[in-house]
Amino acid sequence: MAIEGQIALTVLMGALLVGVAVWLTRLEDWRSYTPLAGGAGGAIGDESAHVHEEKPAGIIRWLTTVDHKDIGILYGTYALIAFVWGGLAAVLMRAELATASLSLLNNTQVYNALLTSHGITMLFLFGTPILAAFSNYFIPLLIDADDMAFPRINAIAFWLLPPGAILIWAGFFVAPFTEAMTTGAATSWTMYPPLSVEQTNPSVDLMLLGLHLTGVSATMGAINFIATIFSERGEDVGWSNLDIFSWTVLTQSGLILFAFPLLGSAIIMLLLDRNFSTVFFAAEGGGTILWQHLFWFFGHPEVYILVLPPMGIVSYVLPKFSGRKLFGFKFVVYSTLAIGVLSFGVWAHHMFTTGIDPRLRASFMAVSLAIAIPSAVKTFNWITTLWNGSLRLNTPMLFCIGFISNFIIGGVTGVFLAAIPIDLVLHDTYYVVGHFHYVVMGAIAFAGFAGIYYWYPMYTGRMYQRTLAKWHFWLSMIGTNLTFFAMIILGYAGFTRRYATYDGLTVGPVEVITAMHQAATLGAFLLLIGQIIWVWNMVSSWIDGPKVEDGDPWNLAETNMKSREWAWFERKLDTTIATDGGAEEEPLADGGEPTESDES
Amino acid sequence: MEEQPGLSDQYRMSSPWPMLIAFGLAIAEVGIIWPLAPLAVGGLLLLTGSIVGIVREAGYVESPWPLLSGFALALVAIGLALFAYSGGAFAVNSVSESLRTSGSIGLRGLSIAFAGVIALVGALVGKYWTTANAGHSV
Repeated sequence: MAIEGQIALTVLMGALLVGVAVWLTRLEDWRSYTPLAGGAGGAIGDESAHVHEEKPAGIIRWLTTVDHKDIGILYGTYALIAFVWGGLAAVLMRAELATASLSLLNNTQVYNALLTSHGITMLFLFGTPILAAFSNYFIPLLIDADDMAFPRINAIAFWLLPPGAILIWAGFFVAPFTEAMTTGAATSWTMYPPLSVEQTNPSVDLMLLGLHLTGVSATMGAINFIATIFSERGEDVGWSNLDIFSWTVLTQSGLILFAFPLLGSAIIMLLLDRNFSTVFFAAEGGGTILWQHLFWFFGHPEVYILVLPPMGIVSYVLPKFSGRKLFGFKFVVYSTLAIGVLSFGVWAHHMFTTGIDPRLRASFMAVSLAIAIPSAVKTFNWITTLWNGSLRLNTPMLFCIGFISNFIIGGVTGVFLAAIPIDLVLHDTYYVVGHFHYVVMGAIAFAGFAGIYYWYPMYTGRMYQRTLAKWHFWLSMIGTNLTFFAMIILGYAGFTRRYATYDGLTVGPVEVITAMHQAATLGAFLLLIGQIIWVWNMVSSWIDGPKVEDGDPWNLAETNMKSREWAWFERKLDTTIATDGGAEEEPLADGGEPTESDES
Repeated sequence: MEEQPGLSDQYRMSSPWPMLIAFGLAIAEVGIIWPLAPLAVGGLLLLTGSIVGIVREAGYVESPWPLLSGFALALVAIGLALFAYSGGAFAVNSVSESLRTSGSIGLRGLSIAFAGVIALVGALVGKYWTTANAGHSV
């Protein structure tokens, strides 16, 4: 960059710092009420004195909040934005694949960049944050804690994500303005060297930095959840009656603690290889297979990091609408812990075709097949919970049942892939893509939707539009199965993944491949329509939906299923109605007494 | 306290520092990896300043200035060590050019050290020319 550029950057940076300093001094007023940090406020004994000014108003509230519920909402909003980005990338790719030749995108590198961005966005910027949204909002409520153990760390963990996303997506924004950058990073989400080392595109460096930030964020969050669940439980919440969702988040946090720092270290090694001539993953150094070992030692636990809390949501919500308790609660917990332990012993099943020692391969096959057992324990327990229950087929329940259905297909195809002889044939085909999308879209996202609908009345105070929600479910269910089952057939037909075109095919069942690609594209558009309906439903109902006035909107008390978070919600509704609500939304002139209008 | 709408419990529900720490870390990271000196200096100042701010807010230190000068000295030491390692070379490189010349490593070192110097000046000014270390009002 020329020296003028450096001067311009200096001015910008200086202006930013001055802006921050001015902002901080302006915050002084609302911060002076603080009862903490040594006696300035002296208001600890008087609860009513600072009820209304606990949170600043407007946008400042959201930028400075350390309240777990607000941070949960922030995580959810962030995940929604990432979901839109990643989803549109997928729609663009599927539209391109509707025809055999390149017709929509400029060149195949754009396809590769979309592919990379879709994978990284959905896993790191949508998947992990949407789960953090649920766990932030609900775990303190479920375990009767005041807040997370470290509220400020919680906020830092969230705020690392937006810069992370900007860096990961930066290639797309910056490329049009500079010669040096061709397009977004096109390394695929697995970032295998030598490709990822040799690509000169600087957007790869930015993506690695962004990934590093999201890894730091996930680790901070995990430490916080472990500390919260261990040390902040209420008096009547012991290990024996800890809810199933908290169990899964506790296990997930343990997995994050061991997996994500390793990813961070491997990413730094990759950055050093790219920019500072180290040879960690070069043939003359550690070798390219070293990256695959390190990456998948993180990458496979990441799969369970993503799937365990959704399993927790399904285990939690399913019984509510089955009218009976979760069958075999203890064994669902044990299977969660078993999956957590086993998940670190299966990573090399991603590497069966790399030429690693066949004896090693066999042991990884054995452990990979073994992990089917705890997964099946859960599945049978969910089915048994449904058995003879009095089912209520509302939207959260439909998504739970859809989860089980899709998870069975995704899981069984995974068992096939875990077997070395089958994997040698199907490796790097669309079969793999179909398999893991059944799990990540068909199961993980479905459980997310179940949770979003189930708790919607609680975090918005309003009810969603039921008919639209049913449309969302059925379009998602049909779209998922159409898209991803077509991919499984594509894999059996021998079609390899990550290709932008297929007009050069001279062998194989070309007609079947073309038809399946078109079916998958049709399914993707069904999914798109479904998700547009969903976003519309969520936003419009939040603004204008009917207000929830009953603390038990799902009538859980009838079947004795009402749980702690709904009891909290009921108390909140009672007090909100009594004080006419809305007080915390309004700006306050001073840091002191409630004004008359607040009391009226 | 959970009966209070929107409240978890009695403690401060907001802090400006977490967002600034996160942004400072991100800006400093980019500024140092790509040797963009203004981003490196500004990001490090934002990061160290906010860490000092949050530690003070949490009540772990009485006055922010000794901690800030500690960070400042550490930055100066790291920066000068990096500069010495590069052999005293210094060059303003283009992003698209090589990032691994000794000149660009020297630039990284100097930017880190420069951030440290500014932080040190800030700490001294804060300690001797403001009243901010006396109370808890900032």
